Amino acid sequence: MKLISLSALLFVIFLGVLFIYVAEDIPDFGDPYSAPNRYIKLFSMDAAGLEDNLNKGVVPEVLTSELKAIGFRDDELPLRVEPIKEGEWEAIIIPEEKEQDFYPKEQKYYFIKKEGAKLDVYRYALIKRYVEEGHHETEVPNMVTYILADYRGYDTLGETTVIFTAGVAVMLLLRRREKRPE
Amino acid sequence: MNTKNSEAGEGKERAGDVIVETISRLMVPFIQLFALYVIIHGAGGPGGGFQGGVIFGASFVLLVIAFGIVNAGDRFPEGANTAFMSLGVYIYAGVGLLCIIFSRGAAQFLNYGFIPLTTHFEENRALGMDLVEIGIGITVMAVVTSIFFNLAWKREPEEGGEEE
Repeated sequence: MKLISLSALLFVIFLGVLFIYVAEDIPDFGDPYSAPNRYIKLFSMDAAGLEDNLNKGVVPEVLTSELKAIGFRDDELPLRVEPIKEGEWEAIIIPEEKEQDFYPKEQKYYFIKKEGAKLDVYRYALIKRYVEEGHHETEVPNMVTYILADYRGYDTLGETTVIFTAGVAVMLLLRRREKRPE
Repeated sequence: MNTKNSEAGEGKERAGDVIVETISRLMVPFIQLFALYVIIHGAGGPGGGFQGGVIFGASFVLLVIAFGIVNAGDRFPEGANTAFMSLGVYIYAGVGLLCIIFSRGAAQFLNYGFIPLTTHFEENRALGMDLVEIGIGITVMAVVTSIFFNLAWKREPEEGGEEE
């Protein structure tokens, strides 16, 4: 009996150490580089003379310098532009290939739209990424499943633990099979 | 002692309807097969671990309703149920841990692509998701069954106490 409680204590300590190791990977709250904290609309700039360049696929200097001023990293600056339809473009980046990265590939990152004489620059929202790239990135056709089990894996692990805790609580409160000999 | 008493009481109360017992005995394997289908096809269509686990648990609930708690309880022992409850969570967390182990600490927890099941990063993610769904299914199945068993068991010793 003493051996069991001792090994249980050791196991709990092991789980605590594991949790600390795992929790180091979770981004801090308010981290400007974590994806959900990015703005969706970034800024707007003058369209004069830029439209032809954009249609040819050349990235204008103004766009790059503006994005740098906002604080995007060097590997997040657009490398080329692709026209979608009249007055709308996509800018594509290739993030630096690190071992830590989830998706070291070409990414649609910015979206440029013509509004009157101005060009509005947007950054693609996370939802858009899930919808457009999820099938390609995970080889699972069901959108609900890949968001639930992959992109939101921590969340689902927590949900499973909640259900487990409910089961244990019911077991502790209601299980009275044998009367004690007293 | 107590279980024997309740078993005797159970036998008197339960008439043992042939129709109900036969139909439920026929139904249960198909319900369980459907539950496994829902869990495994969670990646390809509607479904997933939570839904499939609840369907699997419902098959045991049907067994309890048809055959009485004692007979059904023998088929699905309480100790194994408790073990399954934690086994599912362990499978989930273990798959997450495998990613760290196989990439020697480079990948994040639950980044399934780094488990070398196949040579493709994306295929690994799909297979890791399937493993995780199986873990969820086992936990949900065991918890649903356990909650129903505990609620159903509780009444009998109390009634016996009142009669005495």
